[in-house]
Amino acid sequence: MLPLSLLTAAQNKPMLVELKNGETFNGHLVNCDNFMNITLREVYQTSADGDRFWKLKECYIRGSTIKYLRVPDTLLDTVKEEQTRAREAGRSARGGGSGMRGGRGAPPRGGRGGPRGGGQRGRGRGRGG
Amino acid sequence: MSSLQGYVDRRVLLVLQDGRAIVGVLAGYDQKSNVVLSDSKERIYSIDEGVEEVELGLYLVKGDMIVLIGEIDEAIDQAVDLASIRAEPILPIRY
Repeated sequence: MLPLSLLTAAQNKPMLVELKNGETFNGHLVNCDNFMNITLREVYQTSADGDRFWKLKECYIRGSTIKYLRVPDTLLDTVKEEQTRAREAGRSARGGGSGMRGGRGAPPRGGRGGPRGGGQRGRGRGRGG
Repeated sequence: MSSLQGYVDRRVLLVLQDGRAIVGVLAGYDQKSNVVLSDSKERIYSIDEGVEEVELGLYLVKGDMIVLIGEIDEAIDQAVDLASIRAEPILPIRY
């Protein structure tokens, strides 16, 4: 399971985010992107030493500053179930898997995509005679 | 190519740049070594008392922060009496 699929499934769920500098943010996930940039709402921010607190209506956190996220345990099962359902939906949409083996991901033969650097083999050999 | 695939669904030890040691089941990872740990616990080492385990649950750790991921031999790990272990905590990396 990809970390980002877990994070996208965590929308509207409560979570704890710790930054690399030790500050923590408790809030509900509003949105996230592929860089793990996130927005939280109803946030409690805690300083790294843990003795100062701030309450924020909403905040944006740059993904690269995050150390880790703690998400609800139940999310793991939710995402796993979703993935099995998506797999099965994909299988039935392709006609029960018959005659379509390897349809996705198999590169088209011929044309573009032949051996890399094919016609150029040997270039660069025999430098200087 | 080195890969974490062999560690998926196994119990692993994660050491972070801030010196934390976290054990959990590797539920997933991605290209940047971001890691999903389920059923995770932090192991806090100290000189004057035994190892303290703190339940953390489901964790998503950024790849940037990870120093090491090691597979845990569950049989050996369970045979260890954590309460009897005294050890210096790992220091955070300083730049």
